[in-house]
Amino acid sequence: MADSSGTTLMDLITADPTPATSSSSSSTSAPPPSATSSTSLSSTLGKPATEKKSKRATLMQIQNDTISAAKAAVRTNIMPQKQKKKPVSYSQLARSIHELAATSDQRSSQRQLVQHVFPKLAVYNSVDPSLAPSLLMLNQQCEDKSVLRYVYYYLARILSDTGSQGLSSGGGIPTPNWDALADIDAVGGVTRADVVPRIIEQLSAEATNADVEFHARRLQSLKALTYAPSTNSDILSRLYEIVFGILEKVGDPSQKKKKGILGGKGGDKESIIRSNLQYASLSALRRLPLDPGNPAFLHYAVLGISSADPVAVRNALEIVSEIAARDPYAVAMALGKQVQPGGALQDVLHLHDVLARVSLARLCCTISRAKALDERPDIRSQFNSVLYQLLLDPSERVCFEAILCVLGKYDSAERTEERASGWYRLTREILKLPDASSKESSKDKSQKIKRPQPLIKLVMRRLESSFRSFSRPVLHAAARVVQEMGKSRAAAFALGIQDVDEGAHVNTFADASDLNDSDESTHPESIRRTSSVSNGTAGRDTIAGMLASLMEVVRTTVACECVYVRAMVIKALIWMQGPFDSFDELESIIASELSDPAWSAGLLNDVLLTLHARFKASPDMAVTLLEIARIFATKVPGKVDADVLQLLWKTCLVGAGPDGKHKALEAVTIVLDLPPPQPGSMLGLTSVDRVSASDPKSALALQRLVQAAVWFLGENANYAASEYAWESATPPGTALMMLDADKMVAAASSRNPTLAGALTRLQRCAFSGSWEIRIIAAQALTTMAIRSGEPFRLQIYEFLHTLAQGGLQSQLSDVHLSNGEDQGASGTGLGVLLSPMIKVLDEMYSAQDDLIKEVRNHDNAKKEWTDDELKKLYETHERLLDLVSLFCYVPRTKYLPLGPISAKLIDIYRTRHNISASTGLSDPAVATGISDLIYESSKTPAAAEPDALDDDLVNAWAANLGDDGLWGNNAPAMNRVNEFLAGAGTDAPEVDEENIISRPSVSYDDMWAKTLLETTELEEDDAKSLGSSSPDSTGSVETSISSHFGGMSYPSLFSSRPNSYGADKASRGSGPSIYEGISSPIREEPPPYSSPGMYRNESFENPLAGTGSRSFESQDDERISSGNPQFGSALYDFTAGGDDELSLTAGEEVEIEYEVDGWFYVKKKRPGRDGKMAGLVPVLYVNQP
Amino acid sequence: MILAVLFANAEGNILIERFHGVPAEERLHWRSFLVKLGADNLKGVKNEELLVACHKSVYIVYTILGDVSIYVVGKDAYDELALSEVIFTITSAVKDVCGKPPTERRFLDKYGRICLCLDEIVWKGYLENTEKDRIKRLIRLKPPTEF
Repeated sequence: MADSSGTTLMDLITADPTPATSSSSSSTSAPPPSATSSTSLSSTLGKPATEKKSKRATLMQIQNDTISAAKAAVRTNIMPQKQKKKPVSYSQLARSIHELAATSDQRSSQRQLVQHVFPKLAVYNSVDPSLAPSLLMLNQQCEDKSVLRYVYYYLARILSDTGSQGLSSGGGIPTPNWDALADIDAVGGVTRADVVPRIIEQLSAEATNADVEFHARRLQSLKALTYAPSTNSDILSRLYEIVFGILEKVGDPSQKKKKGILGGKGGDKESIIRSNLQYASLSALRRLPLDPGNPAFLHYAVLGISSADPVAVRNALEIVSEIAARDPYAVAMALGKQVQPGGALQDVLHLHDVLARVSLARLCCTISRAKALDERPDIRSQFNSVLYQLLLDPSERVCFEAILCVLGKYDSAERTEERASGWYRLTREILKLPDASSKESSKDKSQKIKRPQPLIKLVMRRLESSFRSFSRPVLHAAARVVQEMGKSRAAAFALGIQDVDEGAHVNTFADASDLNDSDESTHPESIRRTSSVSNGTAGRDTIAGMLASLMEVVRTTVACECVYVRAMVIKALIWMQGPFDSFDELESIIASELSDPAWSAGLLNDVLLTLHARFKASPDMAVTLLEIARIFATKVPGKVDADVLQLLWKTCLVGAGPDGKHKALEAVTIVLDLPPPQPGSMLGLTSVDRVSASDPKSALALQRLVQAAVWFLGENANYAASEYAWESATPPGTALMMLDADKMVAAASSRNPTLAGALTRLQRCAFSGSWEIRIIAAQALTTMAIRSGEPFRLQIYEFLHTLAQGGLQSQLSDVHLSNGEDQGASGTGLGVLLSPMIKVLDEMYSAQDDLIKEVRNHDNAKKEWTDDELKKLYETHERLLDLVSLFCYVPRTKYLPLGPISAKLIDIYRTRHNISASTGLSDPAVATGISDLIYESSKTPAAAEPDALDDDLVNAWAANLGDDGLWGNNAPAMNRVNEFLAGAGTDAPEVDEENIISRPSVSYDDMWAKTLLETTELEEDDAKSLGSSSPDSTGSVETSISSHFGGMSYPSLFSSRPNSYGADKASRGSGPSIYEGISSPIREEPPPYSSPGMYRNESFENPLAGTGSRSFESQDDERISSGNPQFGSALYDFTAGGDDELSLTAGEEVEIEYEVDGWFYVKKKRPGRDGKMAGLVPVLYVNQP
Repeated sequence: MILAVLFANAEGNILIERFHGVPAEERLHWRSFLVKLGADNLKGVKNEELLVACHKSVYIVYTILGDVSIYVVGKDAYDELALSEVIFTITSAVKDVCGKPPTERRFLDKYGRICLCLDEIVWKGYLENTEKDRIKRLIRLKPPTEF
């Protein structure tokens, strides 16, 4: 593909003014490219219309090229090449290396290698192992340093190549899986397994070469060796041996002179060499797996901290801090005096290496918090003081790391106590800065005596100044630090460290009151800029005051252009939001932010997950968080993960406590009250109470969300309202007396406004809204009817009844004037659904009536209940229970479908017959799994029901909170939340399907694998079919294909590929017979990498595309799927006697479809002379195996 | 851990990439994510101005240098600020090799050398050398500290 600028990787590299491999190409020449390939090449350059097809052709040529190149390279089968100006191919490069390696003593060869061959080879993703012998030869014989540097580079590439699809971290032009090729002998059978031991052998020898002149090469061999597969224990132990061997020699402190930390330039040759070697071996050690049992690690790493080489110091510190996380005591002992003034750790403070200081911060933090060192407070305080010095570091990275360490955030594990004490430390600690060690101590200004000052003040100032930075990474990081601060604060409040009185004047903790200018000198640039912010604010020196001023600055950062920074700011605001603060400001910020289309779904869900995390940290926040979540539901219904949102609703509802439940439910159901979205309307974009769902996708998502909300309401309204039939105080009889609808409603709402409100909403949903919503609303109402006591049940019963008859519909809407047809239930369309629900309620009510009658009879006649009567009653009870369980979960032991009066009688019967109440297993809904069908999520926990039930537990179950199955598919949401809370997630982000940048090429790997494992014909078909479809659909198909295989796409890299070597294959592919494609033996083998999946994908994405290949594919499928197809061969020639008969030639293979009256209906694999493929032949003419 | 270093041209074609600790099946997602990120945000951005993004616990810092956009992805210790250090080292090395902010052509002309520089800067997922002169020495197979 020629991209717009015409400059592609291959173009540019090969359009070198001096022809690429002139020396080698003069001796070689390739067969002229085949007709197809040259046309495709020209079309590539000239006609964008045929771009796709030609690109495919070019791609194939690359593959062919590479295979044959590799072949050529190994067999030294030098083919002649005619066109000098042609771009170089991999094969040419490989061949050049082999040739030039043989003549590496010549200067011209070296120049060739350095200027042309090696740089161009770098364009390819990986290097095939068969080059290794030549590289090793170069390594031994060549003197040129530039050549050697490349040789080390490529040897390392070969060592590191994981061999999986040739996908080692590369870039540039993808290369095949060399080992797979070698296995099928395509490149002469040289695999990595063959060459790796040789490479390691040679590099190890070099790494141990003590020759002074050799030491630069020692460094590079050590480096290359670290790329060797560390899974091999032999190699690993050998590497340790080499590294520790070097460290033993160079790290001997008796020989080493103490040098200035930045020095080395003035040092003598020997010590420089030593420090270089120390650097290389420590760097190598850092890349090798850490062996905590080996004391040598700690020993040499601690020695390395005093190294003259700054990078060595960093690596040593990183190793030490990693060991410290496992064994802080040993590390503290080993470091000994290093931490004291004048020690190596103090020197690191002035080291010009940010990451070294970051490691130092982590190290100090680990040791100063280590429980193992409780006995040695002196050591801990020494490390702590180094940590505090790092707070003044000029680099934000270091300072923030130190702040995070203070806050108790130093690894991914979240410990609430650690966090809480972090907040305590931050707010209480007074910093006494050592005078001399500060970096700026040489400046005149700082000569004045430093006063102790509160830690929090320092941190706040630093953060405020960072928020004034123009650098987005700094803003992002600062917001993140504030977020962590919020987490620690929340933890402190959760643990009740309430003596952190935020109103207290910080100076009460401090010895000195003069704070304003004491640290000017340490941070002149930052402090001066901040000082203007909060001047004059009352209570500036209280923690609350400082926090307020910080948050003000944080809020202004919302204006940042970068959406990621804004997301981080919002997360920080959510974390800093206290449960009792007003959140109007936060709400309006979020509302206006969400209206910005720049927010990606991933980011929004991240914020949503932050709400989860925030809730987990302080359950008091439930209502606030629900209000915020509501904004998500209304503003961006199409972008948020509905499952995660629902989970948030649920957890918040449970967490809201008895007082907050009503509010929580309101917050959820507000979605139902919203006016429908008005497309295109820009009004109220920032208003919370208006839905913005202007595009179809989000409108659909909104509908799903409403559906979910309705369902949620049905499942949880009883829980939220604390209204349960089995706890109801109202006897059923009283409700029957309130048959007047108005009275009933009044009674209901006065008794339980929460439930009444939910009921009203559901009723509205049941006859307005879409199909799905109406159905779910009816189901939700039934659930509520079954679970609620009177008068709610009766109210719902009446409503359902009217709904089923359609009376309400015509009453309520004048638009639906009767046109003479009986509207009936068709008015709502819910008749079918409603009748079983009404039947259940009918049965319950009539059974209740019967029971009351019976009871009266018994009372009047003053006779005891006989066992038979009780049995009948009990059976009715059980039958109704079973029936009810089909609709929703109820606790069987407590639920009384016959009303409270039945309780006594049933109890009598149970005790008489020793029937246990927990008969959950016989629940038909559970036994048959019907419950799963009706309510996907109602996995009745009754099976595990204990005899004695905790009331709350039952109610929670009833509200379906005991299991994870809200909406049936909440497990992934749960996983996502848990994953987020655990801080996991390095997986690749999903790019929205529609937004994906359409990659106009199929991935090279896919192509590669296909040509190896399938025939080229198929590829051709594929290409053709794609070519015939519209460009857009092709793009999407290809995207799906390549994502399916996880392959790569580099469109521009493939343009104008040479095709000198692919001639044989290309020509085979150029005259494809479709039928050959089918009969080809290779085709019969199903490709091992789920190519049917690809076809599925293709047909799904674009049913019009690829009819050619797909139809044959499906034929294939049919044949395979129709059991055992029968094959046979023609015994004799047969000439067709009629239109439905088929001519046969003796020996011809046929597939027998069926037999009819002495005739076989057979199919041939290719058409005969008459062009027919299928027809009838006499049975006797065909030989059946 | 530096998960990925990626160079792309203005059209979103990847020129160099180095992944570390990223499963092969996720690389495609990263590629398209980063390229889309650049296409959305890098228009009109000054040379070497740092932009930031994050995905879950992974940070991304990216910038543009001449015709080439550079992306660095990291996690844990390599947060947005540490990645800024990495990208700063990379841009200064590239400028050093190319002489100035490179055109795509110039970048490709110096492709091999840039790969060597990258090899010295990022070593198995960790930042190694940061000093320009030191890198220059190392890619010529000279010791890091001259005597």
